[in-house]
Amino acid sequence: MGSGLSMNRQTAFWALLAPPLLFVGIFFVVPLLNLFWVSLHGASSSELFGSDLTGENYYRILTDSFYHTIILRTLWAGLSIMLLCLVLGYATAYVIAPLPPRTRLIMLLFLVAPLMVSNVIRAYGWIAILGRQGVVNSMLRSTGLIDGPLLLLNSFEAVAFGLMTILLPYMVVSIINALNAIDRQYIEAAQSLKANPFRTFIEVVWPLSSPGVASGTLLVFLLTLSAYVTITLLGGPRMKLLVSLVFDAVSGFRWPLAAALSFALLALALVVAGLILALLRPGRVQGRG
Amino acid sequence: MRGILIALTGFAYVVVLLPILIVVVTAFSASEFFAFPPKGLSLRWFEAFFASESMRGAFIRSLQIATISSMVATILGTMASMAIARRKGTLFNLVQGLFLAPLIFPAIVLGLSLLIFYKSIGGVPDFLGLVIAHCVLGLPFVVRSVTSSLLAVDPALEEAGQSLKASPIAVFIFIITPLIWPGMLAGGIFAFILSLGELNTALFLTGPGVTTLPIEIFSYLQFQGGQLVIAAASAIQVFMIIAIVLIAERLVGLKRIVRSG
Repeated sequence: MGSGLSMNRQTAFWALLAPPLLFVGIFFVVPLLNLFWVSLHGASSSELFGSDLTGENYYRILTDSFYHTIILRTLWAGLSIMLLCLVLGYATAYVIAPLPPRTRLIMLLFLVAPLMVSNVIRAYGWIAILGRQGVVNSMLRSTGLIDGPLLLLNSFEAVAFGLMTILLPYMVVSIINALNAIDRQYIEAAQSLKANPFRTFIEVVWPLSSPGVASGTLLVFLLTLSAYVTITLLGGPRMKLLVSLVFDAVSGFRWPLAAALSFALLALALVVAGLILALLRPGRVQGRG
Repeated sequence: MRGILIALTGFAYVVVLLPILIVVVTAFSASEFFAFPPKGLSLRWFEAFFASESMRGAFIRSLQIATISSMVATILGTMASMAIARRKGTLFNLVQGLFLAPLIFPAIVLGLSLLIFYKSIGGVPDFLGLVIAHCVLGLPFVVRSVTSSLLAVDPALEEAGQSLKASPIAVFIFIITPLIWPGMLAGGIFAFILSLGELNTALFLTGPGVTTLPIEIFSYLQFQGGQLVIAAASAIQVFMIIAIVLIAERLVGLKRIVRSG
Protein backbone atom coordinates (compact mmCIF):
# COMPACT_ATOMS: atom_id res chain seq x y z
CA MET A 1 0.00 0.00 0.00
CA GLY A 2 2.73 2.47 1.04
CA SER A 3 4.91 1.76 -2.00
CA GLY A 4 1.83 1.81 -4.22
CA LEU A 5 1.05 5.30 -3.05
CA SER A 6 4.62 6.54 -3.58
CA MET A 7 4.67 4.96 -7.07
CA ASN A 8 1.51 6.87 -7.76
CA ARG A 9 3.07 10.09 -6.54
CA GLN A 10 6.21 9.48 -8.55
CA THR A 11 4.16 9.05 -11.73
CA ALA A 12 2.16 12.17 -10.95
CA PHE A 13 5.38 14.10 -10.38
CA TRP A 14 6.82 13.16 -13.78
CA ALA A 15 3.52 13.59 -15.57
CA LEU A 16 3.43 17.13 -14.23
CA LEU A 17 7.07 18.03 -14.76
CA ALA A 18 7.76 16.42 -18.15
CA PRO A 19 5.63 18.63 -20.43
CA PRO A 20 6.87 22.03 -19.16
CA LEU A 21 10.44 20.75 -18.89
CA LEU A 22 10.35 19.43 -22.46
CA PHE A 23 8.84 22.69 -23.67
CA VAL A 24 11.56 24.81 -22.07
CA GLY A 25 14.22 22.33 -23.18
CA ILE A 26 13.13 22.36 -26.82
CA PHE A 27 12.32 26.05 -27.17
CA PHE A 28 14.85 27.68 -24.85
CA VAL A 29 17.86 25.42 -24.15
CA VAL A 30 18.21 23.70 -27.53
CA PRO A 31 17.89 26.94 -29.58
CA LEU A 32 20.59 28.52 -27.40
CA LEU A 33 22.97 25.60 -27.88
CA ASN A 34 22.18 25.73 -31.58
CA LEU A 35 22.92 29.46 -31.60
CA PHE A 36 26.31 28.81 -30.03
CA TRP A 37 27.02 26.12 -32.63
CA VAL A 38 26.13 28.56 -35.43
CA SER A 39 28.42 31.22 -33.91
CA LEU A 40 31.38 28.85 -34.36
CA HIS A 41 31.07 28.85 -38.16
CA GLY A 42 31.89 31.17 -41.01
CA ALA A 43 29.28 32.83 -43.20
CA SER A 44 27.76 31.06 -46.18
CA SER A 45 25.92 32.59 -49.11
CA SER A 46 23.50 29.70 -49.59
CA GLU A 47 23.14 28.10 -46.15
CA LEU A 48 22.58 29.48 -42.64
CA PHE A 49 26.29 29.02 -41.93
CA GLY A 50 29.48 27.74 -43.54
CA SER A 51 30.74 24.21 -43.10
CA ASP A 52 34.04 24.78 -41.26
CA LEU A 53 34.37 25.22 -37.52
CA THR A 54 36.11 28.50 -36.76
CA GLY A 55 36.53 31.07 -34.02
CA GLU A 56 36.82 33.95 -36.49
CA ASN A 57 33.58 35.68 -35.40
CA TYR A 58 34.73 35.87 -31.80
CA TYR A 59 38.26 36.80 -32.88
CA ARG A 60 36.83 39.71 -34.86
CA ILE A 61 34.71 40.97 -31.97
CA LEU A 62 37.70 40.76 -29.61
CA THR A 63 40.21 42.47 -31.93
CA ASP A 64 38.25 44.93 -34.08
CA SER A 65 38.29 48.41 -32.52
CA PHE A 66 34.84 49.15 -34.00
CA TYR A 67 33.35 46.48 -31.73
CA HIS A 68 35.35 47.79 -28.77
CA THR A 69 33.86 51.25 -29.24
CA ILE A 70 30.34 49.83 -29.34
CA ILE A 71 30.87 47.54 -26.36
CA LEU A 72 32.29 50.40 -24.29
CA ARG A 73 29.41 52.61 -25.31
CA THR A 74 26.97 49.85 -24.33
CA LEU A 75 28.63 49.50 -20.93
CA TRP A 76 28.61 53.26 -20.47
CA ALA A 77 24.92 53.47 -21.41
CA GLY A 78 24.05 50.62 -19.05
CA LEU A 79 26.01 52.20 -16.22
CA SER A 80 24.47 55.67 -16.67
CA ILE A 81 20.96 54.26 -16.82
CA MET A 82 21.64 52.10 -13.76
CA LEU A 83 22.89 55.07 -11.73
CA LEU A 84 20.07 57.39 -12.83
CA CYS A 85 17.51 54.70 -11.97
CA LEU A 86 19.22 54.04 -8.64
CA VAL A 87 19.13 57.68 -7.48
CA LEU A 88 15.55 58.35 -8.61
CA GLY A 89 14.33 54.87 -7.73
CA TYR A 90 15.82 54.86 -4.23
CA ALA A 91 14.39 58.28 -3.43
CA THR A 92 10.96 57.20 -4.67
CA ALA A 93 11.04 53.89 -2.80
CA TYR A 94 12.22 55.67 0.35
CA VAL A 95 9.28 58.06 0.19
CA ILE A 96 6.65 55.41 -0.65
CA ALA A 97 7.80 52.58 1.65
CA PRO A 98 6.61 54.04 4.99
CA LEU A 99 3.14 55.00 3.65
CA PRO A 100 0.06 53.09 4.90
CA PRO A 101 -0.34 49.78 2.98
CA ARG A 102 -3.36 50.82 0.89
CA THR A 103 -1.81 54.15 -0.18
CA ARG A 104 1.50 52.44 -0.89
CA LEU A 105 -0.23 49.88 -3.09
CA ILE A 106 -1.98 52.56 -5.14
CA MET A 107 1.23 54.58 -5.50
CA LEU A 108 2.97 51.40 -6.68
CA LEU A 109 0.18 50.62 -9.13
CA PHE A 110 0.85 53.92 -10.92
CA LEU A 111 4.43 52.76 -11.44
CA VAL A 112 3.77 49.10 -12.24
CA ALA A 113 0.89 49.68 -14.68
CA PRO A 114 3.15 51.63 -17.10
CA LEU A 115 5.41 48.55 -17.22
CA MET A 116 2.53 46.75 -18.90
CA VAL A 117 2.38 49.32 -21.70
CA SER A 118 4.58 48.36 -24.63
CA ASN A 119 7.99 50.04 -24.66
CA VAL A 120 7.36 51.17 -28.23
CA ILE A 121 4.45 53.28 -26.98
CA ARG A 122 6.46 54.73 -24.12
CA ALA A 123 9.29 55.63 -26.51
CA TYR A 124 6.73 57.16 -28.88
CA GLY A 125 5.59 59.32 -25.98
CA TRP A 126 9.10 60.72 -25.65
CA ILE A 127 9.24 61.37 -29.40
CA ALA A 128 5.99 63.32 -29.03
CA ILE A 129 7.52 65.33 -26.20
CA LEU A 130 11.09 65.83 -27.39
CA GLY A 131 10.81 65.56 -31.19
CA ARG A 132 11.14 68.42 -33.71
CA GLN A 133 7.41 69.13 -33.61
CA GLY A 134 7.18 67.90 -30.03
CA VAL A 135 5.68 69.48 -26.95
CA VAL A 136 8.92 71.04 -25.69
CA ASN A 137 9.89 72.59 -29.01
CA SER A 138 6.44 73.98 -29.77
CA MET A 139 6.18 75.45 -26.28
CA LEU A 140 9.59 77.10 -26.54
CA ARG A 141 8.79 78.40 -30.01
CA SER A 142 5.44 79.87 -29.02
CA THR A 143 7.11 81.77 -26.20
CA GLY A 144 9.68 83.04 -28.70
CA LEU A 145 12.65 81.63 -26.81
CA ILE A 146 14.00 79.79 -29.86
CA ASP A 147 13.73 80.23 -33.63
CA GLY A 148 14.51 76.76 -34.95
CA PRO A 149 13.66 73.47 -33.21
CA LEU A 150 16.13 72.11 -30.65
CA LEU A 151 17.45 68.68 -31.50
CA LEU A 152 16.67 66.74 -28.35
CA LEU A 153 16.48 63.26 -29.82
CA ASN A 154 18.93 61.06 -31.72
CA SER A 155 21.62 61.21 -29.08
CA PHE A 156 23.19 59.07 -26.38
CA GLU A 157 21.56 61.30 -23.75
CA ALA A 158 18.11 60.82 -25.25
CA VAL A 159 18.54 57.04 -25.15
CA ALA A 160 19.88 57.06 -21.58
CA PHE A 161 17.12 59.35 -20.34
CA GLY A 162 14.33 57.57 -22.21
CA LEU A 163 15.40 54.09 -21.13
CA MET A 164 15.83 55.34 -17.57
CA THR A 165 12.18 56.42 -17.50
CA ILE A 166 11.07 53.12 -19.01
CA LEU A 167 13.02 50.93 -16.56
CA LEU A 168 12.69 53.06 -13.41
CA PRO A 169 9.62 51.21 -12.03
CA TYR A 170 11.61 47.96 -11.81
CA MET A 171 14.13 49.69 -9.56
CA VAL A 172 11.46 51.23 -7.33
CA VAL A 173 9.65 47.90 -6.89
CA SER A 174 12.88 46.02 -6.07
CA ILE A 175 14.04 48.57 -3.50
CA ILE A 176 10.62 48.94 -1.87
CA ASN A 177 10.46 45.20 -1.27
CA ALA A 178 13.87 45.33 0.42
CA LEU A 179 13.01 48.41 2.48
CA ASN A 180 9.79 46.87 3.73
CA ALA A 181 11.65 43.73 4.76
CA ILE A 182 13.89 45.72 7.14
CA ASP A 183 13.06 45.18 10.79
CA ARG A 184 12.15 48.59 12.29
CA GLN A 185 14.03 47.59 15.45
CA TYR A 186 17.40 47.94 13.70
CA ILE A 187 16.64 51.55 12.81
CA GLU A 188 15.34 52.28 16.30
CA ALA A 189 18.45 50.69 17.77
CA ALA A 190 20.67 52.95 15.66
CA GLN A 191 18.66 55.99 16.71
CA SER A 192 18.81 55.08 20.38
CA LEU A 193 22.60 54.92 19.99
CA LYS A 194 22.37 58.54 18.86
CA ALA A 195 23.22 57.91 15.22
CA ASN A 196 21.98 60.83 13.11
CA PRO A 197 19.59 60.05 10.22
CA PHE A 198 22.47 60.14 7.71
CA ARG A 199 24.57 57.64 9.65
CA THR A 200 21.53 55.46 10.27
CA PHE A 201 20.97 55.40 6.53
CA ILE A 202 24.60 54.66 5.59
CA GLU A 203 25.24 52.02 8.21
CA VAL A 204 21.84 50.37 8.65
CA VAL A 205 19.29 51.07 5.94
CA TRP A 206 21.56 51.03 2.87
CA PRO A 207 23.34 47.73 3.68
CA LEU A 208 20.05 46.06 4.59
CA SER A 209 18.45 47.22 1.36
CA SER A 210 21.34 45.91 -0.76
CA PRO A 211 19.39 42.85 -2.03
CA GLY A 212 16.81 45.21 -3.53
CA VAL A 213 19.48 47.50 -4.97
CA ALA A 214 21.28 44.49 -6.45
CA SER A 215 18.19 42.99 -8.08
CA GLY A 216 17.03 46.41 -9.30
CA THR A 217 20.34 47.40 -10.89
CA LEU A 218 20.75 43.93 -12.37
CA LEU A 219 17.30 43.99 -13.94
CA VAL A 220 17.80 47.50 -15.31
CA PHE A 221 21.16 46.63 -16.86
CA LEU A 222 19.92 43.38 -18.41
CA LEU A 223 16.86 45.07 -19.89
CA THR A 224 19.02 47.88 -21.27
CA LEU A 225 21.03 45.31 -23.21
CA SER A 226 17.95 44.09 -25.11
CA ALA A 227 16.18 47.41 -25.67
CA TYR A 228 16.65 47.58 -29.44
CA VAL A 229 13.40 49.39 -30.24
CA THR A 230 13.86 52.16 -27.66
CA ILE A 231 17.50 52.64 -28.66
CA THR A 232 16.59 52.89 -32.35
CA LEU A 233 13.65 55.25 -31.86
CA LEU A 234 15.33 57.65 -29.42
CA GLY A 235 18.93 57.29 -30.59
CA GLY A 236 18.38 57.41 -34.32
CA PRO A 237 20.25 55.40 -36.94
CA ARG A 238 23.75 56.36 -35.80
CA MET A 239 23.45 55.72 -32.04
CA LYS A 240 24.30 52.03 -32.06
CA LEU A 241 24.69 49.77 -29.06
CA LEU A 242 25.65 46.09 -29.07
CA VAL A 243 22.05 44.98 -29.60
CA SER A 244 21.83 47.15 -32.75
CA LEU A 245 24.79 45.25 -34.21
CA VAL A 246 23.05 41.94 -33.58
CA PHE A 247 20.06 43.26 -35.48
CA ASP A 248 22.19 44.71 -38.30
CA ALA A 249 23.95 41.36 -38.74
CA VAL A 250 20.57 39.64 -38.99
CA SER A 251 19.35 42.17 -41.56
CA GLY A 252 22.46 41.33 -43.60
CA PHE A 253 21.78 37.57 -43.23
CA ARG A 254 25.15 37.15 -41.48
CA TRP A 255 23.78 34.57 -39.06
CA PRO A 256 27.07 33.33 -37.54
CA LEU A 257 28.20 36.89 -36.76
CA ALA A 258 24.79 37.72 -35.28
CA ALA A 259 25.06 34.57 -33.14
CA ALA A 260 28.55 35.46 -31.92
CA LEU A 261 27.45 39.02 -31.12
CA SER A 262 24.57 37.57 -29.07
CA PHE A 263 27.05 35.62 -27.00
CA ALA A 264 29.19 38.74 -26.59
CA LEU A 265 26.03 40.39 -25.23
CA LEU A 266 25.42 37.46 -22.87
CA ALA A 267 29.05 37.58 -21.71
CA LEU A 268 28.67 41.29 -20.97
CA ALA A 269 25.50 40.52 -19.00
CA LEU A 270 27.29 37.85 -16.95
CA VAL A 271 30.35 40.01 -16.19
CA VAL A 272 28.27 42.98 -15.08
CA ALA A 273 25.94 40.76 -13.04
CA GLY A 274 28.99 39.28 -11.31
CA LEU A 275 30.39 42.74 -10.58
CA ILE A 276 27.09 43.99 -9.16
CA LEU A 277 26.80 40.97 -6.87
CA ALA A 278 30.45 41.26 -5.76
CA LEU A 279 30.09 44.98 -5.09
CA LEU A 280 26.78 44.94 -3.22
CA ARG A 281 27.05 41.48 -1.65
CA PRO A 282 23.28 41.08 -1.21
CA GLY A 283 23.89 37.60 0.24
CA ARG A 284 25.18 39.04 3.52
CA VAL A 285 21.67 40.29 4.35
CA GLN A 286 20.12 36.86 4.03
CA GLY A 287 23.04 35.53 6.09
CA ARG A 288 24.65 33.80 3.13
CA GLY A 289 27.91 35.63 2.56
CA MET B 1 16.45 66.62 2.69
CA ARG B 2 12.84 65.49 2.90
CA GLY B 3 11.96 68.16 0.31
CA ILE B 4 14.58 66.88 -2.14
CA LEU B 5 13.32 63.31 -1.77
CA ILE B 6 9.73 64.33 -2.44
CA ALA B 7 10.81 66.42 -5.44
CA LEU B 8 12.71 63.42 -6.88
CA THR B 9 9.68 61.20 -6.30
CA GLY B 10 7.45 63.68 -8.09
CA PHE B 11 9.91 63.83 -10.98
CA ALA B 12 9.95 60.01 -11.15
CA TYR B 13 6.15 59.85 -11.46
CA VAL B 14 6.13 62.59 -14.10
CA VAL B 15 8.74 60.94 -16.35
CA VAL B 16 7.07 57.52 -16.02
CA LEU B 17 3.50 58.65 -16.62
CA LEU B 18 3.75 61.74 -18.84
CA PRO B 19 4.77 60.02 -22.13
CA ILE B 20 1.82 57.62 -21.89
CA LEU B 21 -0.58 60.42 -21.04
CA ILE B 22 0.57 62.56 -23.98
CA VAL B 23 0.12 59.68 -26.43
CA VAL B 24 -3.39 58.94 -25.16
CA VAL B 25 -4.46 62.59 -25.37
CA THR B 26 -2.93 63.01 -28.84
CA ALA B 27 -4.96 60.05 -30.11
CA PHE B 28 -8.12 62.16 -29.77
CA SER B 29 -6.84 65.11 -31.79
CA ALA B 30 -8.77 66.40 -34.76
CA SER B 31 -5.80 67.79 -36.67
CA GLU B 32 -3.77 66.14 -39.40
CA PHE B 33 -0.43 66.42 -37.59
CA PHE B 34 0.85 66.23 -34.08
CA ALA B 35 0.18 69.26 -31.91
CA PHE B 36 -0.02 69.49 -28.16
CA PRO B 37 -2.41 70.37 -26.72
CA PRO B 38 -4.44 69.06 -29.68
CA LYS B 39 -6.41 71.60 -31.70
CA GLY B 40 -9.88 70.13 -31.43
CA LEU B 41 -10.98 66.67 -30.41
CA SER B 42 -12.23 63.83 -32.60
CA LEU B 43 -12.29 60.08 -32.99
CA ARG B 44 -11.00 60.22 -36.59
CA TRP B 45 -7.72 58.46 -35.77
CA PHE B 46 -9.53 55.60 -34.10
CA GLU B 47 -11.66 55.30 -37.24
CA ALA B 48 -8.49 55.39 -39.33
CA PHE B 49 -7.02 52.66 -37.13
CA PHE B 50 -9.91 50.27 -37.67
CA ALA B 51 -10.13 51.19 -41.35
CA SER B 52 -6.48 50.25 -41.92
CA GLU B 53 -6.33 46.59 -42.80
CA SER B 54 -2.71 46.17 -41.67
CA MET B 55 -3.37 47.83 -38.27
CA ARG B 56 -6.59 45.92 -37.67
CA GLY B 57 -4.95 42.67 -38.73
CA ALA B 58 -1.97 43.23 -36.44
CA PHE B 59 -4.30 44.10 -33.57
CA ILE B 60 -6.39 40.96 -33.96
CA ARG B 61 -3.27 38.82 -34.41
CA SER B 62 -1.74 40.29 -31.23
CA LEU B 63 -4.90 39.39 -29.32
CA GLN B 64 -4.89 35.85 -30.69
CA ILE B 65 -1.21 35.30 -29.91
CA ALA B 66 -1.59 36.73 -26.41
CA THR B 67 -4.66 34.58 -25.69
CA ILE B 68 -3.16 31.30 -26.89
CA SER B 69 0.32 31.83 -25.48
CA SER B 70 -0.92 32.95 -22.06
CA MET B 71 -3.28 29.97 -21.83
CA VAL B 72 -0.55 27.50 -22.73
CA ALA B 73 1.88 29.25 -20.36
CA THR B 74 -0.68 29.06 -17.54
CA ILE B 75 -1.19 25.32 -18.04
CA LEU B 76 2.52 24.47 -18.38
CA GLY B 77 3.54 26.87 -15.61
CA THR B 78 0.97 25.44 -13.18
CA MET B 79 2.16 21.90 -13.93
CA ALA B 80 5.78 22.90 -13.36
CA SER B 81 4.96 24.68 -10.10
CA MET B 82 2.94 21.73 -8.79
CA ALA B 83 5.84 19.40 -9.47
CA ILE B 84 8.59 21.45 -7.86
CA ALA B 85 7.04 23.98 -5.46
CA ARG B 86 7.80 22.14 -2.22
CA ARG B 87 10.90 20.25 -3.35
CA LYS B 88 14.34 21.14 -2.09
CA GLY B 89 17.84 20.35 -3.31
CA THR B 90 20.27 21.57 -5.93
CA LEU B 91 18.59 19.76 -8.80
CA PHE B 92 15.19 21.26 -8.08
CA ASN B 93 16.70 24.70 -7.64
CA LEU B 94 18.29 24.30 -11.06
CA VAL B 95 15.02 23.21 -12.66
CA GLN B 96 13.20 26.13 -11.06
CA GLY B 97 15.99 28.46 -12.19
CA LEU B 98 15.51 27.17 -15.72
CA PHE B 99 11.79 27.95 -15.63
CA LEU B 100 12.44 31.43 -14.25
CA ALA B 101 15.44 32.22 -16.46
CA PRO B 102 13.52 34.00 -19.27
CA LEU B 103 12.61 36.69 -16.71
CA ILE B 104 16.14 38.09 -16.81
CA PHE B 105 17.55 36.47 -19.95
CA PRO B 106 18.14 39.07 -22.72
CA ALA B 107 15.03 38.54 -24.82
CA ILE B 108 16.75 39.67 -27.99
CA VAL B 109 19.04 36.63 -27.76
CA LEU B 110 16.04 34.37 -27.19
CA GLY B 111 14.38 35.85 -30.29
CA LEU B 112 17.43 35.32 -32.48
CA SER B 113 18.04 31.80 -31.15
CA LEU B 114 14.43 30.83 -31.89
CA LEU B 115 14.58 32.37 -35.38
CA ILE B 116 17.71 30.37 -36.26
CA PHE B 117 16.28 27.26 -34.58
CA TYR B 118 13.06 27.51 -36.64
CA LYS B 119 15.13 27.91 -39.79
CA SER B 120 17.35 24.95 -38.82
CA ILE B 121 14.38 22.60 -38.47
CA GLY B 122 12.99 23.63 -41.84
CA GLY B 123 10.72 26.53 -40.92
CA VAL B 124 7.81 27.11 -38.55
CA PRO B 125 4.74 29.22 -39.45
CA ASP B 126 5.25 32.80 -38.17
CA PHE B 127 2.10 32.72 -36.04
CA LEU B 128 3.08 29.50 -34.27
CA GLY B 129 6.65 30.72 -33.85
CA LEU B 130 5.44 33.86 -32.08
CA VAL B 131 3.07 31.89 -29.84
CA ILE B 132 5.94 29.63 -28.76
CA ALA B 133 8.27 32.58 -28.04
CA HIS B 134 5.65 34.41 -25.98
CA CYS B 135 4.87 31.22 -24.14
CA VAL B 136 8.55 30.84 -23.12
CA LEU B 137 8.51 34.48 -21.95
CA GLY B 138 5.18 34.19 -20.08
CA LEU B 139 5.96 30.90 -18.34
CA PRO B 140 8.15 32.38 -15.54
CA PHE B 141 5.41 34.80 -14.49
CA VAL B 142 3.01 31.89 -14.06
CA VAL B 143 5.60 29.74 -12.26
CA ARG B 144 6.45 32.57 -9.88
CA SER B 145 2.91 33.44 -8.99
CA VAL B 146 1.53 29.87 -8.81
CA THR B 147 4.51 28.71 -6.74
CA SER B 148 3.89 31.41 -4.15
CA SER B 149 0.20 30.44 -4.03
CA LEU B 150 1.10 26.76 -3.63
CA LEU B 151 3.51 27.48 -0.80
CA ALA B 152 0.65 29.15 1.04
CA VAL B 153 -1.52 25.99 0.81
CA ASP B 154 -1.51 23.95 4.02
CA PRO B 155 -0.05 20.51 3.12
CA ALA B 156 -2.41 18.97 5.68
CA LEU B 157 -5.31 19.66 3.29
CA GLU B 158 -3.66 17.65 0.55
CA GLU B 159 -2.85 14.81 2.95
CA ALA B 160 -6.41 14.82 4.22
CA GLY B 161 -7.61 14.34 0.66
CA GLN B 162 -5.17 11.51 0.10
CA SER B 163 -6.05 9.77 3.34
CA LEU B 164 -9.66 9.83 2.19
CA LYS B 165 -8.45 7.91 -0.89
CA ALA B 166 -8.96 10.75 -3.33
CA SER B 167 -6.93 10.29 -6.52
CA PRO B 168 -4.18 12.85 -7.25
CA ILE B 169 -6.41 14.29 -9.97
CA ALA B 170 -9.33 14.65 -7.58
CA VAL B 171 -7.04 16.25 -4.99
CA PHE B 172 -5.87 18.70 -7.62
CA ILE B 173 -9.31 19.62 -8.92
CA PHE B 174 -11.23 19.78 -5.64
CA ILE B 175 -8.58 20.85 -3.13
CA ILE B 176 -5.61 22.57 -4.79
CA THR B 177 -7.23 24.46 -7.67
CA PRO B 178 -9.72 26.43 -5.59
CA LEU B 179 -6.83 27.58 -3.41
CA ILE B 180 -4.34 28.54 -6.12
CA TRP B 181 -6.55 29.89 -8.89
CA PRO B 182 -5.85 33.54 -8.01
CA GLY B 183 -2.15 32.79 -8.53
CA MET B 184 -2.87 31.05 -11.84
CA LEU B 185 -5.06 33.91 -12.97
CA ALA B 186 -2.55 36.60 -11.97
CA GLY B 187 0.27 34.76 -13.77
CA GLY B 188 -1.89 34.18 -16.84
CA ILE B 189 -3.03 37.80 -16.99
CA PHE B 190 0.55 38.97 -16.77
CA ALA B 191 1.65 36.57 -19.52
CA PHE B 192 -1.21 37.94 -21.66
CA ILE B 193 -0.21 41.57 -21.09
CA LEU B 194 3.45 40.78 -21.70
CA SER B 195 2.62 39.15 -25.03
CA LEU B 196 0.48 42.12 -26.12
CA GLY B 197 3.38 44.55 -25.80
CA GLU B 198 6.34 42.29 -26.52
CA LEU B 199 8.98 43.58 -28.95
CA ASN B 200 12.30 41.82 -28.62
CA THR B 201 11.41 38.37 -29.88
CA ALA B 202 8.64 39.66 -32.17
CA LEU B 203 11.24 41.80 -33.98
CA PHE B 204 12.84 38.63 -35.31
CA LEU B 205 9.82 36.38 -35.57
CA THR B 206 7.27 38.54 -37.37
CA GLY B 207 7.28 38.15 -41.12
CA PRO B 208 5.74 39.84 -44.12
CA GLY B 209 1.99 40.00 -43.54
CA VAL B 210 2.28 38.48 -40.06
CA THR B 211 3.09 41.30 -37.63
CA THR B 212 1.94 42.16 -34.14
CA LEU B 213 0.59 45.54 -33.11
CA PRO B 214 3.76 46.76 -31.31
CA ILE B 215 5.89 45.85 -34.33
CA GLU B 216 3.40 47.55 -36.64
CA ILE B 217 3.65 50.70 -34.49
CA PHE B 218 7.45 50.45 -34.54
CA SER B 219 7.70 50.23 -38.31
CA TYR B 220 5.23 53.12 -38.71
CA LEU B 221 7.39 55.23 -36.39
CA GLN B 222 10.54 54.28 -38.24
CA PHE B 223 9.36 54.75 -41.79
CA GLN B 224 6.21 56.85 -41.88
CA GLY B 225 6.51 59.08 -38.77
CA GLY B 226 3.99 61.79 -37.99
CA GLN B 227 0.90 59.67 -38.60
CA LEU B 228 -1.45 60.05 -35.69
CA VAL B 229 -3.04 56.68 -36.37
CA ILE B 230 -0.26 55.17 -34.24
CA ALA B 231 -1.35 57.37 -31.34
CA ALA B 232 -4.78 55.77 -31.65
CA ALA B 233 -3.21 52.30 -31.85
CA SER B 234 -1.21 53.08 -28.71
CA ALA B 235 -4.22 54.51 -26.89
CA ILE B 236 -6.21 51.36 -27.64
CA GLN B 237 -3.45 49.28 -26.04
CA VAL B 238 -3.35 51.55 -22.99
CA PHE B 239 -7.16 51.35 -22.58
CA MET B 240 -7.02 47.57 -22.82
CA ILE B 241 -4.39 47.43 -20.10
CA ILE B 242 -6.42 49.74 -17.85
CA ALA B 243 -9.46 47.50 -18.40
CA ILE B 244 -7.46 44.36 -17.64
CA VAL B 245 -6.00 45.90 -14.47
CA LEU B 246 -9.48 46.91 -13.28
CA ILE B 247 -10.88 43.43 -13.96
CA ALA B 248 -7.86 41.80 -12.32
CA GLU B 249 -8.30 44.02 -9.28
CA ARG B 250 -11.82 42.60 -8.89
CA LEU B 251 -10.73 39.01 -9.43
CA VAL B 252 -7.41 38.67 -7.65
CA GLY B 253 -6.83 41.95 -5.79
CA LEU B 254 -4.48 44.87 -6.24
CA LYS B 255 -1.66 43.26 -4.28
CA ARG B 256 -1.17 40.44 -6.76
CA ILE B 257 -1.13 42.80 -9.76
CA VAL B 258 1.53 44.99 -8.21
CA ARG B 259 3.60 41.99 -7.17
CA SER B 260 3.54 40.25 -10.54
CA GLY B 261 5.04 43.32 -12.19
